[in-house]
Amino acid sequence: MKKKFISVLLLSMLFIFSLVMGSSASGTLVFGNSGDAARLDPADVTDGESISRMDNIFEGLVEYKEGSTEIQPCLATSWETSADGKEITFHLRKGVKFHDGTDFNADAVVFSFARQYDPNHPYHQYGEWSYWGYMFSDIEKVEKIDDYTVKIVLSNVNASIMTSLAMFTVNIVSPANAEKYKEDAFKYPCGTGPFKFVEWVKDDHITLEANENYWRGRPKLDKLIFKVIPDPSARLLALEVGEIHGMEYPNPADFERIKANPDLVLMSEPGMNIGYMAMNTGYGYKDVNKNGIKDPDEPLEKTPGYLEPLTKKEVRQAINMAIDKEAIVRDIYRGTASVAKNGMPPFMLGYNDEIEDYPYDPARAKELLAKAGYPDGFEVTLHVMPVSRPYMFDPPKIGEAIQSYLGAVGIKVKFYQVDWGTYLQETEAGLHQMCLLGWTGDNGDPDNFMNVLYGLNTCSIGTAGNYAFYTNEENQELLTKALRTYDVNQRAEYYKKAQELIHEDAGWVFLAHANQSAVFRSNVKGFVLHPTSRMFFYPTWLE
Amino acid sequence: MDRKNNQLKETRTQELIRRLRYNKSATFGLIIVLILILCAIFANYLAPNNPSPSPPELFNALKPGFWSQKGIEGMPLGTDALGRCVLSRLLFGARVSLSAGFVAVGIAMILGITFGTVAGYYGGWIDAVIMRIVDIMFAFPALLLAIVIVTVLGQGLSKAMIAIGIVYTPQMARIIRSSVLYIKEMEYIEVQKAIGSSDRRIIFHHILPNSIAPVIVYGTLMLASAILDCAALGFLGLGAQPPTPEWGAMLSKSYSYIVSGAWWAATFPGLAILFSVLGLNLLGDGLRDILDPRLKI
Repeated sequence: MKKKFISVLLLSMLFIFSLVMGSSASGTLVFGNSGDAARLDPADVTDGESISRMDNIFEGLVEYKEGSTEIQPCLATSWETSADGKEITFHLRKGVKFHDGTDFNADAVVFSFARQYDPNHPYHQYGEWSYWGYMFSDIEKVEKIDDYTVKIVLSNVNASIMTSLAMFTVNIVSPANAEKYKEDAFKYPCGTGPFKFVEWVKDDHITLEANENYWRGRPKLDKLIFKVIPDPSARLLALEVGEIHGMEYPNPADFERIKANPDLVLMSEPGMNIGYMAMNTGYGYKDVNKNGIKDPDEPLEKTPGYLEPLTKKEVRQAINMAIDKEAIVRDIYRGTASVAKNGMPPFMLGYNDEIEDYPYDPARAKELLAKAGYPDGFEVTLHVMPVSRPYMFDPPKIGEAIQSYLGAVGIKVKFYQVDWGTYLQETEAGLHQMCLLGWTGDNGDPDNFMNVLYGLNTCSIGTAGNYAFYTNEENQELLTKALRTYDVNQRAEYYKKAQELIHEDAGWVFLAHANQSAVFRSNVKGFVLHPTSRMFFYPTWLE
Repeated sequence: MDRKNNQLKETRTQELIRRLRYNKSATFGLIIVLILILCAIFANYLAPNNPSPSPPELFNALKPGFWSQKGIEGMPLGTDALGRCVLSRLLFGARVSLSAGFVAVGIAMILGITFGTVAGYYGGWIDAVIMRIVDIMFAFPALLLAIVIVTVLGQGLSKAMIAIGIVYTPQMARIIRSSVLYIKEMEYIEVQKAIGSSDRRIIFHHILPNSIAPVIVYGTLMLASAILDCAALGFLGLGAQPPTPEWGAMLSKSYSYIVSGAWWAATFPGLAILFSVLGLNLLGDGLRDILDPRLKI
């Protein structure tokens, strides 16, 4: 009796084992992420973790080409722009179905847009739609012409709109699914993409499976699992033993170990990002009517983090000169970044390479401090990010290095750390005196850096994107002009001029453009890094 | 065993030292603790380098120590990720950890003795109220409670000390209360009451001096836990703020480099915590064996 039991047990274990083995042999890819997704509604997120999951579930009218930010047709097969540049007509792909079996058509497109911009839309209440305000507020409305034609009407000419339309924010969601789940729709994502949503175990994993009816053909992978392993060392160990097939954000200190391992492939390329320290220059405005623009009836007022010394240009320049960026990039980023002198990556349109960076010169910094009236320095609080981001792998160490550099010129830096959610809230509200932050580009357009991070319009207390609260009207004029013209050379000129102003007024210490990197086991083929750090697994297969 | 005859000629301190010498593990603990205290006091003279040079020497980052050819002269235990001398930071860290431990236990003693004595001596509803509060505080895990208190008070080493002190108060209060309950029934207290001594006189001259032994024992053991909890808070980023060289914080900032081979930056602070906690525990256990009247043969 007992023997029989044991043999049954053994057999069943063998069976389970073969099931497990079988599934991995036929193409389940497990990817190790540093954190969990926040929401799975493409229009209602800003964080990279949520986006990387949805890149495989949803699609937009247009999409980025592999490894670049040039656009190509996706759910729209073609489009025409009107002579004045304010109307774009899209012809939609026929025969595409959502994962729930309903048809993709003009109604779905109108639904996906209108719920974001129309406050009277029945589904508007279910989201914050923050990216709409950052990048899409020039869209006045989206109209259905017939079942497979839609028209996007702009209120202003917007040079970056086509690349922005490839962003996750305006991916097309299934209206039937939204109706079924209402406010919980973000837990049950349903799009037209290569993978279907299966399950989400909070803070553990998200499972997707191949969409058999994908219009481009079924993906090569059967299953795609995003597993949360917060610690980079633990992630690497899991990858080394084959528990996962790929991972994001490896620790730069581990690169040599990864390169020495023949089972692993390190992918690394210049990232479209900027990591910086912002100095609160003192004044912002309250965006009363929430239009994302500083109107004349919205006066400048002191930010809560106002600190007298930082309002002086000489002091901010002195701080720029007191920090040795070369050493930070070499020894803390460990060579996996390039030193930044401007607020956007060097390969972008309008990058001003003629600007000469502030040199590392503590003696000169001290002189400037004395000239500004602070020969003995002053005390300042630095908000230090608690999490690792693509543009800054180890913020506390960078914070400590900055503390030590500034200490050498007499500026006493106090550390301030809070959890990530509060950190963003406090810095957006201008509570910080100085803060570490950064930005990863969304669409490859300079407007996505310049206007979002450095314009007067984003000095709005509470929803700021300009964390130095750099309230220069001339600068904002240049940025707005650049967005309102399609002439590429003219745009570049405006951006170059704006960078000169930003450099001179020194509201930021631009630290580094970090490389983006991912590690895969060598049997994973076909994955390509994307400059926007998005994660498209459609072309990937396991060997 | 008959010890009474020899003991008559000894003072209490002499007796303590003699008994301690026979207890090997306690002697070992005492030596570690003495080394620790010396390191803390003379960190300025012992440390080969500035624990937090300004500006930082980033070019020295993660260099190994004396065991490797790649090490740097004058940095015997290697450097951390910001190029700082690990040995110097450990020595200054001893100062931070010890003072954190003493302050935290000091706070716990002052509060604990006050509440414990009042509860034990007066009894009745005062006792009930104080002890129920103590029970409630016991219901929370110590570190969790410390985190809550630090969150309310704000980050920083001094706040962490206060938090740990508050967390340890209930233990101290209970220990004192039980001794007081026992002593106040003794005949010499009854005599004091009979001759009309004031409560104050009875408490300060008779009860407290006689109940101090367990306080010393548990205080020593608590010192170990306090150092550990302070390191834990530092590890979580809630205790000492940079650039203070605190062992827990040193550990948490360096453990991610173990995988890449730079084990020394995390290992030595870990060993420092281990040995100081071990030393204090051994000493505390030894003291209990010696001082606890119930364990006497």
